[in-house]
Amino acid sequence: MASVIEGLSNELAEMVEAAGPAVVRVEGRRRIPASGILWSEDGIVVTAHHVVKRDDRLSVGLADETQLEAELVGRDPTTDLAVLRVDGAKLPPAATADLEDLSVGHLVLALGRPGRTVQATLGIVSALGTSWQTAAGGTIDRYLQTDVVMYPGFSGGPLVDASGKVLGLNTSALRGVSLSIPSATVGRVVESIISHGRVQRGYLGVGVQPVNLPEALVEELGQETGLILISVEPGSPAEDGGLTLGDTLLSVHGEPVRRLDELMSQLSGDLVGEEVIVRILRGGGVREQKVTVGER
Amino acid sequence: MAEGIQEFNAESARLSKQVHASLVRVESGRWGAGAGTIWHSEGLILTNSHVVRSRRLRVTLPDGRQAPAQVLARSRDLDLAALSLELSELPVIELGNSEALRPGHWVMAFGHPWGVAGAATAGVVIGQGPELLESPAFGGDWLAVGLHYRPGHSGGPLVDSSGRLVGINTVMVGPDVGLAVPVHEIKRFLKNSLQRAAA
Repeated sequence: MASVIEGLSNELAEMVEAAGPAVVRVEGRRRIPASGILWSEDGIVVTAHHVVKRDDRLSVGLADETQLEAELVGRDPTTDLAVLRVDGAKLPPAATADLEDLSVGHLVLALGRPGRTVQATLGIVSALGTSWQTAAGGTIDRYLQTDVVMYPGFSGGPLVDASGKVLGLNTSALRGVSLSIPSATVGRVVESIISHGRVQRGYLGVGVQPVNLPEALVEELGQETGLILISVEPGSPAEDGGLTLGDTLLSVHGEPVRRLDELMSQLSGDLVGEEVIVRILRGGGVREQKVTVGER
Repeated sequence: MAEGIQEFNAESARLSKQVHASLVRVESGRWGAGAGTIWHSEGLILTNSHVVRSRRLRVTLPDGRQAPAQVLARSRDLDLAALSLELSELPVIELGNSEALRPGHWVMAFGHPWGVAGAATAGVVIGQGPELLESPAFGGDWLAVGLHYRPGHSGGPLVDSSGRLVGINTVMVGPDVGLAVPVHEIKRFLKNSLQRAAA
């Protein structure tokens, strides 16, 4: 009797057991502690930026009930992530999964450790999309929305798939909509914060406005819009690279820039210090300029 | 297609029907009604203390039988009340092992939310322990569950994936989070208070 439900029930509990040891308690604000994920063997803990209200007197509670002082390595408010470091964590870090095999409708669990023990809530994947920009300007690799209930203190904890692997980090919940930052983005931000203390953002020094391209060129260029330069800061990478007011940006480093968000995501850090090819439309003709991307 | 889910649904329906047999309605004078759970075949019913709001208690069984009830024992800390009925051969619910429940385990709750008789809601165990957030302290364990408790679920059964009783629905602490008193705490309550009553 009841074998299917019992089977599901036990598998859900196994998911919690698999991921639970890497779920930590993060004490960095008054009243209710938040959650975090033990990210690497050298004691890196990642959590949500908005739950770490102070920069010192931080501590992390592990699954084996040890409580360790934590140092703030850095924050990226644009993706709502904060990176902490603890010494002497003897537990295995989280196993992560990419979103390749994930579909809308799949069962997922949100885990948290606001108290001594790990806790869980159940939900399904509500929406999966492509990359998006947060209001603060951060680039998130995939849009991942679920209906898991974010119990108080769950912010910063993991979203776990059927194999018990971490799909992402749960940040906010508004009116039944819970958003998670995919593990790929978390990994990228963690790496950037560890090596630079922050997330680098590429910088050209231009103000832009999307414009329709001349019809005669649409087919040849394979895009309908570009970004016209409405300002170029003096001494900026754009000016040094020979871009001027009225040029229309078509692509940066081989990627089309049809809208502002495409330019923003092209400038998300990897290109800082690199000389890249910028294709522009100037006086009816397409040309290429070499621009060295600066850092904001 | 979706055979696993069809099988799940069939089991869930069977399990709900089985639990319904032990789910009663507790009327408390003109104060309205809550739910109750048959604990013993010789007329022992468990409900929440806050459901018992007058001395004129009346219990209605799922088969339609009705009887007045007396309060045998009561704890405001645990929000529990044990009632006795002058009826016998009641369909008891099988007891489960609440101490074995882990976060993620599937649970279902039954009651009469907004007067809808026998309505079910399901979810998973969030956690268990004496110090859950937003839980009133009484020294024992609470069981936090992620499901949709509504007024009227109070006193009804919370069951595990096999339909065995693991708790009594007690309070909602948010639209999607509820607290239940686990069966191991109920056993302790009954043992302590009924022994005292007998002495």
